[in-house]
Amino acid sequence: MTILLKTVDLRKQFGETRACDGVNFVVHKGEFLSLVGSNGAGKTSLVNLISAHLTPDSGQILFEDKDITFMTVSERIKAGIARSFQIVNLFDGLTVFDNIALSIFSRDGKAGKIISLAEHDDDVRRETLEVLGQFGLSDKTAVLAGGLAQGERKLLDVAVAYALRPKLLFLDEPTSGVSTHEKAQIMDTVSSVVRAGTVTAVVIEHDMDVVFRYSDRIVMMHEGAFLADGTPDQIKMNKDVANILLGVPLSV
Amino acid sequence: MSILVIQILNSLFYASVLFLIAAGLSLIFGVMRIVNMAHGTLYAVGAYVTAWLMGKAIALGVPLGWLFLLLPVGAGVVALAGFVIEPLLLRPFYRRAEEYQLLVTFGLLLILEDVIRFLWGGMPITADTLQDVVPIMHIGGLVYPGYNLVVIGIGALAAIGLWAGIYRTKFGVMLRATSQDRRMASALGINVGLVYMSAFAIGCFMAGLGGAIIVPSQAAVLGMGVDALILAFVVVVIGGLGSLQGALVGALIVSFVRTAGIQFFPEIELAVLYLIAAIVLLIKPTGLFGNA
Repeated sequence: MTILLKTVDLRKQFGETRACDGVNFVVHKGEFLSLVGSNGAGKTSLVNLISAHLTPDSGQILFEDKDITFMTVSERIKAGIARSFQIVNLFDGLTVFDNIALSIFSRDGKAGKIISLAEHDDDVRRETLEVLGQFGLSDKTAVLAGGLAQGERKLLDVAVAYALRPKLLFLDEPTSGVSTHEKAQIMDTVSSVVRAGTVTAVVIEHDMDVVFRYSDRIVMMHEGAFLADGTPDQIKMNKDVANILLGVPLSV
Repeated sequence: MSILVIQILNSLFYASVLFLIAAGLSLIFGVMRIVNMAHGTLYAVGAYVTAWLMGKAIALGVPLGWLFLLLPVGAGVVALAGFVIEPLLLRPFYRRAEEYQLLVTFGLLLILEDVIRFLWGGMPITADTLQDVVPIMHIGGLVYPGYNLVVIGIGALAAIGLWAGIYRTKFGVMLRATSQDRRMASALGINVGLVYMSAFAIGCFMAGLGGAIIVPSQAAVLGMGVDALILAFVVVVIGGLGSLQGALVGALIVSFVRTAGIQFFPEIELAVLYLIAAIVLLIKPTGLFGNA
């Protein structure tokens, strides 16, 4: 399997807390990977480091064999890394259509055609509608993002990140705060775009049913380091993981 | 009856100019959260530059019809000034408290007022030749300058153009996104600095155009900028700072009330405007169309 992303001995410390304690993280092309662990295990910090929302104390991040450790957020987006956040990040005053269209033409950087009519740019329009269709939001194009229900907001948030057409997509708790039905809808959508081979996904998720059902591989973090790494079946059998999930302290 | 028609046309004439000034003020506030105290003076600069250019053009014997081209040129000069002012003067203050931004734009107001005085002196400059180019209209038994209709048309075109620019173009989407969340927009890879510079320049262009179109019917005089700023503030207080619809509706309200005031209660004409602004502030502090 081709390695898409690799971190080498990545470290980040906040005061006494080691959010990332020498992490060697590997993501393979085309996989659906879940990052699990209790609150404060370092999952979001790891994603923040990879998406340039945090600067590492030491270590290296390689994306497609290129060192991206010192690239800015927008440079990493251009390189092909996109993410969503725990808290939905949408432009509430823009329509659903415009939220997606914005991703598409900021990705393309079509500065020369900047004054052209957004709706009349056939390429952008077609792609926007296509993305909205994939995420089941076709009938919401003209609605303001601020007026969507929570589940739809989560879907749109993921769609905005997806519309950047990343090679690697990080989703930070894409199903938090939504109903079970909507959870399935969000995860089915993400999983189908991964299966279509267009994107590799790394998902931070707490709902272990969801994790076991959709993941190709699961990585469990604990206190800034990796505790387990394997297929859903391997993880289910892992005693340390079971202990943590059940809240039993680790035997040192 | 014909008096009424004329008063309505007068109101629309003032509304066009006021809309241009207030929409620019509102746009700049909406995008970069700066209340530009120098905005009225930029309008005055537009008037002075246009009047001065017209004087030169007439002296050179340029055909009178061509003078219309000087209206966008005058506005363009102010827009160019905007391209310089935003990165040099305003950008260093975005991270500071609002007081700093008010002070720096107030300083700019004082400097620009003195620049006007230095370049053109204390005497009013007229450019009424252009007004004479457009035929006079007869309404009932009364005569009315046809040029005023041109101004109303330009105001309407500017409103449509600005609306289309903000709500229908890609640049408009980026502009609105940046105004809602600068950090998120920049995380998407939008060049926020360029958006700010363009928004400020467009705001300056609007103010300059307001000055350019009014100068053929009213001379450019010292202090016109401050007067315009005060009225523009009344407009955005009523309509809502940062809202394009608010600037349009506010400009219409202020102009109609003002025209009626001059006709029926000239002593308290301005007081009535402030009263309306005060009532709006009491009932809906964000203005009729404001939401932030």
